[in-house]
Amino acid sequence: MDKKYGVYICTGCGIGDALDIKSLSDVAEEEGLSCQSHPFLCGKEGVELLKKDIAEKGVNTLMLAACSRRVNYDVFRFDGCIVDRINLREGVVWSHPRPEFPALTEEEKEDEDNFDRVQMMAEDYLRMGMAKTEKIKLPEPYVLENFTKKILVLGGGVTGMTSAIDAAKAGYEVTIVEKQAQLGGNVANWRQQLPVSAPYENLIPTVVADKIAAVEADGNISVKLETEVARIAGEPGNFTVTMKKPGEKIEFDVPFPLPEEMKLDEAGKELDVEAQHAKYLEYNEGRKDILQLDPDGEKFGAVILAAGWRPYQPEEGEFAHLGLGQVPDVVTNYEFEEIASKGKIVRPSDGKEAKSVVFIQSPGQGDDSDFAYTGAVTSMVALKQAKYVCNDYDDGKAYIFYQHMRTPGLSEGFYKSIQQTPGIFMTKGEVTGVSKNGSSLAIEAADTLLGDNIQVNVDMVVLATGMVPVTVDSPVINLAYRQGPGFRDNDIFDGYADSNFICFPYETQRTGIYAAGAIRRSMTVDESIEDATGAALKAIQCIESSNRGVAVHPRSGDMTFPDFFFQRCTQCKRCTEECPFGALDDDEKGTPKPNPTRCRRCGTCMGACPERIIGFADYNVDSIGSMVKSVQVPSEDDFDEPPFRILGLVCENDALPALDIAALNKLSYSADVRLIPVRCLGSVNVIWIKDALSQGMDGVFLLGCKHGDDYQCHFVKGSELASIRMKKIGDALASLALEEERVAQFEVAIDEYDKLPKIINDFVEMVEDLGPNPFKGF
Amino acid sequence: MADKYLVEPDVGFIKEIGEYGGDSLKKCFQCATCSVACPISPDNKPFPRKEMIAASWGLKDKLVGNGDVWLCHNCGDCSTLCPRGAKPGDVLSAIRMYAISHYAGFPALGKIVNDPKKLPVLFAIPAVLFLVLGLIFKIFGIHWLNFSPERVIEHGDTVGHIAHHAFFHTWLVDLIFVPTSIFVVAIFALGLKRMIADMHANALLEGKTDKENIDPKGFVQSLIKILPTIMKHSKFSECGENTERATPHMMVLFGFIGLAFVTGFFFIVLYGIGIHGPYDALVWLPVKVIAIVSGIALIIGSFLMFKNRKAKAADQMSTYRDWFLIGLVFALGATGMLSYLTRLADAAFLTYLIYYIHLMCVFVLFISLPFSKLAHLVYRTTAMAYNEYAGRK
Repeated sequence: MDKKYGVYICTGCGIGDALDIKSLSDVAEEEGLSCQSHPFLCGKEGVELLKKDIAEKGVNTLMLAACSRRVNYDVFRFDGCIVDRINLREGVVWSHPRPEFPALTEEEKEDEDNFDRVQMMAEDYLRMGMAKTEKIKLPEPYVLENFTKKILVLGGGVTGMTSAIDAAKAGYEVTIVEKQAQLGGNVANWRQQLPVSAPYENLIPTVVADKIAAVEADGNISVKLETEVARIAGEPGNFTVTMKKPGEKIEFDVPFPLPEEMKLDEAGKELDVEAQHAKYLEYNEGRKDILQLDPDGEKFGAVILAAGWRPYQPEEGEFAHLGLGQVPDVVTNYEFEEIASKGKIVRPSDGKEAKSVVFIQSPGQGDDSDFAYTGAVTSMVALKQAKYVCNDYDDGKAYIFYQHMRTPGLSEGFYKSIQQTPGIFMTKGEVTGVSKNGSSLAIEAADTLLGDNIQVNVDMVVLATGMVPVTVDSPVINLAYRQGPGFRDNDIFDGYADSNFICFPYETQRTGIYAAGAIRRSMTVDESIEDATGAALKAIQCIESSNRGVAVHPRSGDMTFPDFFFQRCTQCKRCTEECPFGALDDDEKGTPKPNPTRCRRCGTCMGACPERIIGFADYNVDSIGSMVKSVQVPSEDDFDEPPFRILGLVCENDALPALDIAALNKLSYSADVRLIPVRCLGSVNVIWIKDALSQGMDGVFLLGCKHGDDYQCHFVKGSELASIRMKKIGDALASLALEEERVAQFEVAIDEYDKLPKIINDFVEMVEDLGPNPFKGF
Repeated sequence: MADKYLVEPDVGFIKEIGEYGGDSLKKCFQCATCSVACPISPDNKPFPRKEMIAASWGLKDKLVGNGDVWLCHNCGDCSTLCPRGAKPGDVLSAIRMYAISHYAGFPALGKIVNDPKKLPVLFAIPAVLFLVLGLIFKIFGIHWLNFSPERVIEHGDTVGHIAHHAFFHTWLVDLIFVPTSIFVVAIFALGLKRMIADMHANALLEGKTDKENIDPKGFVQSLIKILPTIMKHSKFSECGENTERATPHMMVLFGFIGLAFVTGFFFIVLYGIGIHGPYDALVWLPVKVIAIVSGIALIIGSFLMFKNRKAKAADQMSTYRDWFLIGLVFALGATGMLSYLTRLADAAFLTYLIYYIHLMCVFVLFISLPFSKLAHLVYRTTAMAYNEYAGRK
């Protein structure tokens, strides 16, 4: 595409009042670009002006020096044109109000040593925009050659069946794979279940029968019982899935990556690539490599993971203080449900009627947390099972000792209705002992609502143990990905299949795999049903994005994808290893094989690549590098006291919106910083920092999301990887005799806009104390 | 306080409290808004939260002998502010009803008083008793029951006038009422003995008192000390909701006191001095005025109570026990007043009939006293006296 540039400066929203528009236009015109200003660019006339230029003058690369790119993006969308937004409003004028940063008076202008920081800032941003647009291309989507819209559902419980039914209703072909010989999962074995509709008051028969009937009646759904997935290879839109009988060993069982300790020789030194590969082949003998596709494999477009949970297995003696394993009439809630499903509640020890039962919600011993893997569900289950006791026996008594009674949302209605049962007694409190007392059990509890240490004598005790997601035991999804068959670092979620369930429910760390139900967190049937619908929609979103060659999430609709210049690849594997989503597989030599529909376009690979051979059409090492280089760094040749120049690389997910909010609130920060939005801190290539410092900028800071176990990074690993790279750059700076402190990384959440000015100003001040960059002016 | 309290919930008790109008008790989630809202709850071990917990756990032993349930004046502040609709006011009221039955004993008689289906039986007892006893005496030649009563001639009045004692002789009336009164007093005495012992044991257990034993002298002193509070209805006026309740309650209470005084006065006049009624002579006028005013107070007071309860139907439950008592008080006042007026109007048949009904009402009042809601007169007074004695803040 032959670019025809056009620069348009909006003078509305206070821009024209604060800036010298004539001088600003000169910056563009000096480069030979046409530049126009308009008082109201996003208004009807302004947009008409742009459209007219596009149609009549053939302008196809527009630089709009106006407001933040986060607003009016729909107004300024012109198909077939590159549109760059130069943020004068939030980035310059609103965040640097004139009363605080006064313009030069006519008198001051006469002295060449005076300068206007805000005007300089606006002019730099315009230069950066011009540099960027020169280096970027109009993106074209990556379209898969083979594409299927079929959806695979792992797990035939309530969640899996609901997902399948919903996806099928939306017109997609669905296959359910279930390990057991029948559908229904855990719920099939229950006596009754919690309510799933208003008024959320009464127990109901389980929904399993209805769900099975709906699955069987739907022509779009096929069911494979006693089947599990040996491997899922390929990428969204084109997964190749090999299935097998549970427990069977086949050649398309997924290979596992070599464990860390096996990568070392006897002396503890890391083996070379060939030796590691030999070991890897030995380790996975009898299994085909991940890149070898099963010719008989079935094709799927997206996967819904609804493999569910298993009951928590207490370790030997784990709850001995509550009598579990010591007294036969102490059982878990799972075992209690088994008893209840067979008939009236009876004691396991002697088969006698259990007319009084204690339900214990927390293991106690000074800790008030509930049993592991419980969430809110075990509170609800205790209420349900307590009701069984009173339903079975008119004189039945059920006691619930809890530290937390969790009945979220509308299930409060269920709590209220259970509470009304005369024979159900609830109290907060810690159970301190369970012992045999003749033919009954004596339960002692402290810190109860009754104000005393109390004792009750009952027939049976039930412990509210939790629901363990099956991903704790095995990868389940068995992905033929180089990074391994399961979800990476899943232990930070206690084994739950999730990436960040508050911001991105259903999404996992693997694009195209959507988790729902108890594999995501402990859930009731009601919640699982809702979850199943969400995951089905997400799977559909994935298919309907991948087929157009655009990103699924969180950069929904992004048409770009990472492009590799393979001739210069040194097979260092860094991109393969660092990709947070396992999008890259490498061959035995270490050459990466991209899988664009797995990719979320964060650019972590681009940040990782030491050869800088990875880039996107509109975002690459060169485009950002050119922006950095276009910043004017004044030296003593220009002014007696030249201002400092500090580069800020700002994550556009949370930090950039926070900066806009700060500007909206008229919070100001130093006018000596130049900010460049980046897709994720993970995409920051250290060459940009080196470029900045070598051209005399005095400091560089990165502004991004929190990392660590409670990370807020939208791409899971990006900000963490950036922090590792920043540590390494410190050594390089030291060798250049530059202070390590000149490069820093800050964490900010989207709601912490009020903290931003201080973060930036403190850094600027610190750099000023260090003094100017000695490379300035070279 | 006991080291460990063996909890033995009584599901039957919970159900019974529900039947007495406390069916909301299980809704409590122990937020303690009620105890904070209550204007008359003491700072030390405040009610009604602890009572609500005990009630929802069916802990009869912590409630029946608990004096705090009587300190409550059922103003309804707690019920209005309860975020869960647990209506602590109604629950305490139901517990009081349970306690009344518990301490009165004679469950068969209690059932007659408190079961709406037995209301005809309750009134049939005096109706039959008066007639049967009167007829039995007639057989022995004692005419204390006359179906064509003679007119009484006094002060040279030639026509003579109606006298109720010519119909039912005072001997017959008192032959029935005096033993009935003794029976009622005995029931209360036995009930109070158990109640005070229970109340003290409960106070010791819950740390509501610093006294180890009950010293009768101190107790009586406390009783005297709280009498002005009761008379002035000061506890009533502390309540936020239902302040208008104080006036009708006061009217009824003073109505009863007035009538008790008049009854006692003429009892002495009759049996001490030997002067028979009707006491229409000018010399009795001051006492007559007290009687008339008291009767009017009963009528108006009970009517206002009826109106208030009707208006409050949404916030405060009203059971048969409440309506029974209000109805009885109204009937008592109305029949008394009407039998007086009809006598003055010289309507012989009407006045004798109404007098007969009036006697039935009085008898029902007496006999139901230990079993009906009216027993609160005795129990609440005792509980307030005990609370004063216990030195609770």
